[in-house]
Amino acid sequence: MKVLIVNNMAPFVWGGAEELAVHLQKNVIAAGHEAEVLRIPFQWEPASRIPSQMLMVRAFELWNVDHVIALKFPAYLIRHPKKTLWLLHQYRQAYDLFDVGQTNLPAGPAGEELRTLIRNADNESFAESRRIFTNSEVTRQRLQRYNGFDAEVLLPPINDAELFGGGPVGDYIFAGGRINDMKRQYLLLDALSLAPPHVKLLIAGPPDSPADGERLRAAVERLGLSDRVRLDTRFLPRATYAEYLNGAAAVAYLPFDEDSLGYVTMEAALAGKALITTTDSGGILSLVKHGETGWVAAPDAEALAPVLAEACSNAQRAASRGAAARALWLSLNIDWPHTVEKLLR
Amino acid sequence: MKIALCSSFVPFLYGGARNIVEWLQTMLEKEGHQVERIYLPEIDGPDLLFQQMAAFRWIDLSAADRVICFRPQSHLIRHPHKILWFIHHVRVFYDLWDSPYRGFEDDVRHRGLRDALHQADTVALREARHIFTNSQVVSDRLQQFNGIGSEVLYPPVFDAERFHSRGLSDEIVYVCRLEHHKRQHLLVEAMAHTRTPVRLRLCGSSSGAGYPDELSQQITRLGLQDRVILENRWITEEEKVAYLADCLAAAYLPLDEDSYGYPSVEASHARKALLTTSDSGGVLELVRDGDNGFVAEPTPVALAQAMDKLYADRGRTAAMGERALARLDELNISWSHVLKRLLA
Repeated sequence: MKVLIVNNMAPFVWGGAEELAVHLQKNVIAAGHEAEVLRIPFQWEPASRIPSQMLMVRAFELWNVDHVIALKFPAYLIRHPKKTLWLLHQYRQAYDLFDVGQTNLPAGPAGEELRTLIRNADNESFAESRRIFTNSEVTRQRLQRYNGFDAEVLLPPINDAELFGGGPVGDYIFAGGRINDMKRQYLLLDALSLAPPHVKLLIAGPPDSPADGERLRAAVERLGLSDRVRLDTRFLPRATYAEYLNGAAAVAYLPFDEDSLGYVTMEAALAGKALITTTDSGGILSLVKHGETGWVAAPDAEALAPVLAEACSNAQRAASRGAAARALWLSLNIDWPHTVEKLLR
Repeated sequence: MKIALCSSFVPFLYGGARNIVEWLQTMLEKEGHQVERIYLPEIDGPDLLFQQMAAFRWIDLSAADRVICFRPQSHLIRHPHKILWFIHHVRVFYDLWDSPYRGFEDDVRHRGLRDALHQADTVALREARHIFTNSQVVSDRLQQFNGIGSEVLYPPVFDAERFHSRGLSDEIVYVCRLEHHKRQHLLVEAMAHTRTPVRLRLCGSSSGAGYPDELSQQITRLGLQDRVILENRWITEEEKVAYLADCLAAAYLPLDEDSYGYPSVEASHARKALLTTSDSGGVLELVRDGDNGFVAEPTPVALAQAMDKLYADRGRTAAMGERALARLDELNISWSHVLKRLLA
């Protein structure tokens, strides 16, 4: 079968969704099919250009394709008689983020019109899809709540599981992944400044913009933490990233209201590391159970500081929570062959 | 520099139109540029064409410092720094209008679509900072149909240093997809007319089983089994390098093709004489009769004579092979030239 994976592209930005599409392609091929990725450019700024880009996707004609797997808004608007959605993202700024005031849609009637347009186009695309899977429970609930469509949660597998074999409990907290305001690495720095001096932090990952990296560096300076924080803001080789993760005492990941389980937490759980997150981190909470697989704190420095301290003070506890995280992850049975089979069903 | 390479594609079909994009991407990245490759689907049917053209118009690539567009209708993309490396029109509305390829009526409606397409193309072409083409044939068409001048920028092959010669065997090779318009059958028939023990090797895959079967039957019918080898498969790059290194000469004789074709350039890098025909179109921009190979009339007898000459006068054949390599320089077929021009 010829399987076309349809995804968005923010030109010159490579992120988790792109990585997922590539691994999906690889695994569809491993299952004995042909697979290719169609990446459709999409810029959500300015919002006034969103409708024409939606039309663009709708206007494309596909030929020589047996099955489409579409991942994101607006890529999933593409027309094909055999279309399965593996929904990673709706346009959240027209849905839940709009409701909390985090949107780039204009206020007033113009914004309302855009929201209606996006919702109608979404509903039409969802209705014409054979099956809808989502990448997390949060995405599933949002789809149900805002669009009234049922979906099945299909959690994305880890892409290179062999790298995350774990290791001894180290003396630092590891915070990996992209660096930006939504991922709130700054909150860890604030917390660290309130924690005892033996607590160390390793933050590693590519900043979304040079300014994101600069802000973090300035905060380390301002809080006088340079001897306790290591910042590695390169686009890391996977092996280096895995080495950092495998050697940590615990792994912290505190995005604001993330949809998915988060690769960082999935990989940490597989490596048997205790997990740290915050009460408002969304999908991450499916893996982080306070007192079992790690710690869940309120999203402020005062609440996080004792958690960091505890994670770095009791290796035995960190190890046992890490073991529980690993057991929880393995119990979910998330692997590529099952995932591909479901998507092509 | 942030450079977006834009082209259209048919999913799961691979070939020259992707090679030119992907090889350029590799070369640009080697030079330290950030490159984004954008392939978007397109079907050329008259009833679907314009809505898809609108789609190309709506793409937002403002994040790129410069875009380079290849296969149609990617030239419709709007960008303040748009460069075209134009490889062909939607040809049924241009030079193939009066041909069996058109596939729809020559009526008022379709003539209207054709005229609208020509207008839209001309507008989009004029937006470009600079237009390059892959051959003189295509440049001539841009002038004829759109009234627009352009610069020929011959596409080089990838990693040309791989190709080399280690002597001349008795074998003429034709490394190319087995398709009727590539006319492998003409060479097989020519083999029946040769007077020397020259040999022929045809290798390539085909879009269907019909043509390879016909070739196979033709070889048997003409009793050429011991002098003609037919390999109906996509040979590896290593095999290709080896075949070209050993062969006597290389054939490439498509019917009226736009560009010179990668097989002839690869053979030139291997310092081998080329064999083509007088109706092969863009190939004639590369091959000059008696200089870097032979340009034969497209008949079995004429081709047979050329093949015999290649076999019999090896000194001359070897010299033409050396000229084949030199000819690439004369035409500026190199990545350094391509990068210099595209980034100018």
